[in-house]
Amino acid sequence: MKPLKSLLFLFIISILIFQGCTTKEPLTPPQKSKQETIHKETLSHTEKVEKSPVESTEFDNEFEEEEASIVDPLSGYNTFMTSFNDVFITYALNPVSEAYGYIIPQPIRIGISNAFHNIQFPIRFVNNLLQGKFQNVSDETERFIVNSTVGLAGLMDPAKEYMHIPKHNEDFGQTLGYYGVDSGFHIVLPFFGPSNVRDFLGISVDAYASPLVNIRGLENYKIPNNFAQSTAIVAGYFINKKSLELGQYESLKKDALELYPFLRDIYEQKRTADIEE
Amino acid sequence: MLKALLIILSLSITSHAIVESKIQQVMDKKVHQVLNILKNKALSQKQKEKKSISVMNSVFDYKTMAKISLGKKWKKLSNTEKKQFTKAFEKKIKHSYVDKLRLYNNQRVISKKLKKVKPTRITLENQIVGKTDTYKVVYLFYKDKKANQWYIYDVHLAGVSIIQTYRKQFSSFLKTKSFQALLKSL
Repeated sequence: MKPLKSLLFLFIISILIFQGCTTKEPLTPPQKSKQETIHKETLSHTEKVEKSPVESTEFDNEFEEEEASIVDPLSGYNTFMTSFNDVFITYALNPVSEAYGYIIPQPIRIGISNAFHNIQFPIRFVNNLLQGKFQNVSDETERFIVNSTVGLAGLMDPAKEYMHIPKHNEDFGQTLGYYGVDSGFHIVLPFFGPSNVRDFLGISVDAYASPLVNIRGLENYKIPNNFAQSTAIVAGYFINKKSLELGQYESLKKDALELYPFLRDIYEQKRTADIEE
Repeated sequence: MLKALLIILSLSITSHAIVESKIQQVMDKKVHQVLNILKNKALSQKQKEKKSISVMNSVFDYKTMAKISLGKKWKKLSNTEKKQFTKAFEKKIKHSYVDKLRLYNNQRVISKKLKKVKPTRITLENQIVGKTDTYKVVYLFYKDKKANQWYIYDVHLAGVSIIQTYRKQFSSFLKTKSFQALLKSL
């Protein structure tokens, strides 16, 4: 129970601290996200946001204020970690994944990816439930049952191919966001990449529900028996995933003028979009 | 006289951009054209890229995209600078687009949803089926009132707005560096 208690403590402290730190992209309705402003029928209230007749273009109210500065206390560390991850990906992860992909045929790798996804069902189940998305809970349960049985322990995905049941990827970070928890400042995690305070907490909490991460005290429900095995499984997951996505990271990098702010920005945009859906 | 009229008529039919009622149809056609180009083994990679771009050219409004991405700074540019920037930006977008196409050669496009969010804004959503995941691509159209045609001014890939991303990048770049430096880096 100790780790859970200290986690809870950390969680509460962080919430309290970051309540005040909302000078980041102010999440006021007119500027919350482009998605939201576009998909709302009543845009008239956003038009009242200041614009002198000379300066405004008809699109300005659909995009975030460029001048908004971001609270980023860890920017030095983050920039360093971004470079570290970049080197890691380029010189370690990519070559290994390429070699792996060369040896193992793609259908098998897709199967492995499906199996990993399938076994993480408890996380999706709990978080959809916590967000009150009951149709999603039922969809995901159906997917899990069908794919685990007919789909040969999750290797295949008949639930998608034949029954067209959609996926509903929810995690605890999204659950927190759903209930209005601000993302907190940006943190780049070693190996895992961009994250933020809320999502890092989310990952930590989800680890309890994931059958693939060993937690002391819950060994009976977990597959790996110790930290080393957990690490091996996570590494396997990333190598397999990377082998199916070779070239994407490099292509993404080309769009960046400055790598760290770019990755931070697209990460935050994506999370905002994920939380909204 | 009739001949001239006929020529003008045929020209306007074949001319670019889209009328509202045809948005979904035209985009469907274009997307499938691009997918077929990518699948065509007889073409070299360069030819594929060139053809794909020319298919999408007529619906992407590069000038508006360039303008939005610079935000307030656009007004402060001279006309030559505006031209230079639009050109550089257009080149960058095309390269970026084509680079991504190369990675998704076996896409399948499944569902599409058209939504009119405002009298002058329409969104078209495509679901692209990848190897392990399905990606949402949303094209945002605005109406050019004068020409009564619709053009794309932004694309959302998996929830990330391309123009918003550039806007942020340019604004933070220009805080510490000059416009000329920006042109160079594009």
